[in-house]
Amino acid sequence: MLRVAAIAIVMLALAQTTTAQARTLSVRDEGHLHYLTDNATLIVDEGAVSGTIPGTARVSFWYNGSPSVSARFTIIAHGGTLTGIAHCWLSNPNSLTPSFRGHLTIPSGSGRYRHARGSGELFGVFHRRGYSLIIQAIGRLRY
Amino acid sequence: MVAALTLAWISPAVAHATQIVSITTGFSPERLGAPTTVSLGFDVRTPDGSLPSALTGIDFHYPADLGLGTSDLGLATCNPAKAGYYGPSVCPANSIMGSGSALAKFQVSPEVSEESAKIVIVAGPSQHGYMNLLVTATGAYPVKAHILMTTLLEPGRLHFNVPLVSGIPEGPDVAVVRVRIKIGGKLTYYERRHGKRIAFHPQGIKLPRRCPRGGFRFNATFSFLDGSSVAAHTVVKCPRPRK
Repeated sequence: MLRVAAIAIVMLALAQTTTAQARTLSVRDEGHLHYLTDNATLIVDEGAVSGTIPGTARVSFWYNGSPSVSARFTIIAHGGTLTGIAHCWLSNPNSLTPSFRGHLTIPSGSGRYRHARGSGELFGVFHRRGYSLIIQAIGRLRY
Repeated sequence: MVAALTLAWISPAVAHATQIVSITTGFSPERLGAPTTVSLGFDVRTPDGSLPSALTGIDFHYPADLGLGTSDLGLATCNPAKAGYYGPSVCPANSIMGSGSALAKFQVSPEVSEESAKIVIVAGPSQHGYMNLLVTATGAYPVKAHILMTTLLEPGRLHFNVPLVSGIPEGPDVAVVRVRIKIGGKLTYYERRHGKRIAFHPQGIKLPRRCPRGGFRFNATFSFLDGSSVAAHTVVKCPRPRK
């Protein structure tokens, strides 16, 4: 009898822990990133992001002339990191500051975000002089 | 600038091809990871030295990892209709992406006459998210001609339809025999800062940090009015590591 009660208490505790850990958050983060390095068609930028999950973001942005561009990003936040990828469509390529927009997914994280999964939209502006980026991510995150 | 290796052959698929084409390419400076000016050129000739057939199309393939998309060339656009009618002088300075020259030959029986033309490459309005290049060629004497070609800047590919230019009445069309262009180079752009117009020089096209195995490969297929097509390729060798 005592053994059954002990198992029940342990299971209840585990269930409470799981409930406490599984959180869903509406995320809206944005930042002005500065140029770090590049490899011709790949631009790497870094900078502070503010919003729901503030921290430092590093973004690798691929653009080879096709309007279909992609970005891989890592946000180093308090207590953990979030890693994601976005596939976007770039418009006005002749502009000084072409803009892009597309779907983002967050498949992984670390620390307090180690179970993170999320999706949403990424908006961005690429500055063709100086290679800086302005990004805004809007989505939902479960962690 | 390191001279590019140039090769050419007549396409074996086209038995009656009578043109021989060689292409040349180069980077200046030739430094991996740095902005550069890209030089492109081609020469058309016939084995017996006669007048080549008129060029009708060029399908040009370049390494897709060149930073054409990320370059700061073509920060404004030129109206294709205006560029076609008035020439590139009406285009904004920030739309100029490069320049060059062309040499054309045409029959003035029984002689063959030559004419040089000035080439200017400008950015046109983008189409479907792709940058659009407008290539204008202007010749003054003895045939006053102005042609405009457009191509989308696809990753690793440029395709040109070359319009025919009449020589003398009833004579064959003008044959383009040599073209040399530079994308980038000494260009002057302008920007507004605090209400003032400031001049600056665009950086040009970034080279990747690593050289592809075997060098930077360029291929082109040239189509001619006589129905023949000729393929040519060239390689820009990997730069030696800097000491």
